[in-house]
Amino acid sequence: MGVMFLGRAVAGGTVNGDPIPDVPDLARMRQQRSSRLRGSMRERGVDALLLLGTSAVQYAAGAAAPIVDASRATLLRPVALVLADDPEPHLFTPYREAADERIAADHIHPPLWVELDGQVADIAARLGRLVPDDATLAADEMPYPLRRALGDRVVAEGAVVLGAARLIKTPDELACLRAAQSMNEAAMRTVQDALHPGSRQSELTGILLREAFELGAGGVGVDAIWQVMPRRRSDGPWAFHGDVAYPAPSSDQILREGDVMWVDSGILYEGYASDFGRTWLVGADPNEQQREHFARWVAVMQAVLDEIRPGATGGDLCRAARKADPLSAAEGGKPWLEQFYLAHGLGVDSAEMPFFGTDLGEEFDDSFVLEPGMSFELEPVIWREGTGGYRSEDLVVVTDDGWAPLSDYTYAPYEEHRRSETAR
Amino acid sequence: MSSLGLAALPEGGRADFAAIRADRRRRLLDAMAAADLDVLVLGRPGDIAFAAGVRPLFTSGSRPYSVGCVIVRDGSRVHVLADHDEGVPAEIAHDHVIGRSWNPRIASARTGQIPGLAEARRIGSAGMSTGVATLLATIAPAAQIVDARPLVRAARARKSAAEVAVIETACSLAEAGLAAMAQELRPGVTTRRLAARYWERLGQLGVTVVPDGLVACRTACRLCGGLDGSPLAEGELVSLSPSVTYGGYDATLARTLVVGGSPTAAVGKLRDRALDSLREVVTTCVPGATGAELVRAWTGAGEPAFGAALAHGVGVGIEEPIIDIGLGADEVLAEGMMLAVQGWVHEEAVGSWHHREMIQVTGAGPRLLTRPHPRAAGAAATTTSSPGAI
Repeated sequence: MGVMFLGRAVAGGTVNGDPIPDVPDLARMRQQRSSRLRGSMRERGVDALLLLGTSAVQYAAGAAAPIVDASRATLLRPVALVLADDPEPHLFTPYREAADERIAADHIHPPLWVELDGQVADIAARLGRLVPDDATLAADEMPYPLRRALGDRVVAEGAVVLGAARLIKTPDELACLRAAQSMNEAAMRTVQDALHPGSRQSELTGILLREAFELGAGGVGVDAIWQVMPRRRSDGPWAFHGDVAYPAPSSDQILREGDVMWVDSGILYEGYASDFGRTWLVGADPNEQQREHFARWVAVMQAVLDEIRPGATGGDLCRAARKADPLSAAEGGKPWLEQFYLAHGLGVDSAEMPFFGTDLGEEFDDSFVLEPGMSFELEPVIWREGTGGYRSEDLVVVTDDGWAPLSDYTYAPYEEHRRSETAR
Repeated sequence: MSSLGLAALPEGGRADFAAIRADRRRRLLDAMAAADLDVLVLGRPGDIAFAAGVRPLFTSGSRPYSVGCVIVRDGSRVHVLADHDEGVPAEIAHDHVIGRSWNPRIASARTGQIPGLAEARRIGSAGMSTGVATLLATIAPAAQIVDARPLVRAARARKSAAEVAVIETACSLAEAGLAAMAQELRPGVTTRRLAARYWERLGQLGVTVVPDGLVACRTACRLCGGLDGSPLAEGELVSLSPSVTYGGYDATLARTLVVGGSPTAAVGKLRDRALDSLREVVTTCVPGATGAELVRAWTGAGEPAFGAALAHGVGVGIEEPIIDIGLGADEVLAEGMMLAVQGWVHEEAVGSWHHREMIQVTGAGPRLLTRPHPRAAGAAATTTSSPGAI
């Protein structure tokens, strides 16, 4: 059955030989993540990996942590300890109830207060019981109290160990990403229907979250953005990089007829991020210039999609995008935002490796080779000084013989231009 | 003092946020002088928001420690990392805004251009990571690097009257969301539906940031469980724990409500036990009280640990101290601190009762910022019988 996306035929949907399941098998997903992570540890000679970051703990231990701001997520953080020879992770958590069904009882521990000075002796004693003195230890973060607790012990950089494992998604992870994206999109359909001149940004957020929670979302990954865009850069906020200032946090701003709004939201499902991005118009249809922005955006997307396959590089994608939009080059730019990227990875973080088109440079982009199971968000931006711009995002995964879309949302009011059949 | 209302008025904002920011910067600069620091590096989002007054884009979860704000004592300059000036207050000039970069080499070069950083003798950093250690060693190889967390914590801990007024406004928003949930509460409703209603109501009020997403949970099974989709039964107990960020400051509270009816005698007894025990803790919250005394007030009432902190600081996000059984015994409360104090009691076959208040530590005793209960129409539910006190 032929599936079309943005006017392009989607190739077969297998990832490393397996199809993406309709419903994720969460137990299998945790087991495969554990196996990937411990494989990465063994490759790098790491015996014990201590993880503090919210998404890192989520990946390693699979326990749902509450959706909280950075201060709570830091002071009350769960901590995971992965031992290379033990398939079960240890979890130190203030949210014991949320871990009960997922982690063996003898691997769940009271919280390890790695941010609190008064707990240094406790941290040292409890880690000492699980990590032998001669084990090679790596950690993703090193707050002062943890560093003191570890004394003279050499600690390797843990982020690279984790990053290598996370780069390739298992079929169940991809199913989670698709489910998160699908919930985000379903909620956004209701928001788009409700949008009218006089809506407030905050009201739209309220509707989005109302719908998302009713659909089963875990919570908010990123405060939703409903930024009204100017026609000239100088009419918007001042920007360090000189490009369009984006994203701006939302407020109770009242939206007016004809406003061009760049919409961006991320809600979470089973710890996996989603990333919805579209350009909407408030109570209006696009004018000729706005349609032209959209046509340019589609051309860039099509050119990039045509390049995505195992073995292609990030540099190939960026070059295809630039080539497809000579107008942006003529204005000294590129069809994405200067301070961001053409594409970013999506997983348990809403922006993770790989990044293409950043100021890491072309050498980095050229050295990054696509493999099946890599999922990333494409977010070209078209800008024409004086008439404004167009920005939308779509989520794709590299498959065994090309790519498959994980997002599925109309580009209305610009065009009902989407995949002709669902891939499921 | 009471809540302020949200809108700016023609004669001026109701809260003078510029004055609040200036006062916070002065507190940090004074602390830097006292600690003989030339430069203060901040990387935790709450510290950055406190020092620079930026309105950050909310993202859930922790972030690795990286440079987000640099204060240079000479000239009292505040430099902030940001891509644009939306959400950056006017007093931070554009040449004090440093563009972020994905490239550590570029980030290091930009940060290194901050006047006074390379020559600094003593640099405080309120957190540490391999990246920041490398960056500081590169930019200011001769500088002594000092753990500045205690200094920043102390500067943040005591709230000014203006800060308290903003926090009180945040409390009024959280209570409005609570009232909306209470109105929705009836047999057959799910905690997901309650959370949905909460967000919708806050959006109508102009707020989009909820710092703790667990705003409703059935207390029968768990305190820290997630939202769920199964219908609440008549007589079941639900913990509603709304939180809000307004003007950068948090409010958080929790109330337990009975679904669809009046509490039974057993539930009434459970409620009284919870509120009586918590009152013991709250009355202990006076200047000079220690964490150990708060814990003794709870355990002395015969209550065990319940798997969440008994008390913690609140301000720009949550703050230390964190006090619980076995935690923070040596912490000392000071006048001006803002605390969230909570209790949770359980009785087999009856259920659990959860209650959280925001209190200000004052010389005249603990002052409650949260109101007792939303007596919403249609929600035949009750908590306290004596408004104004827990």
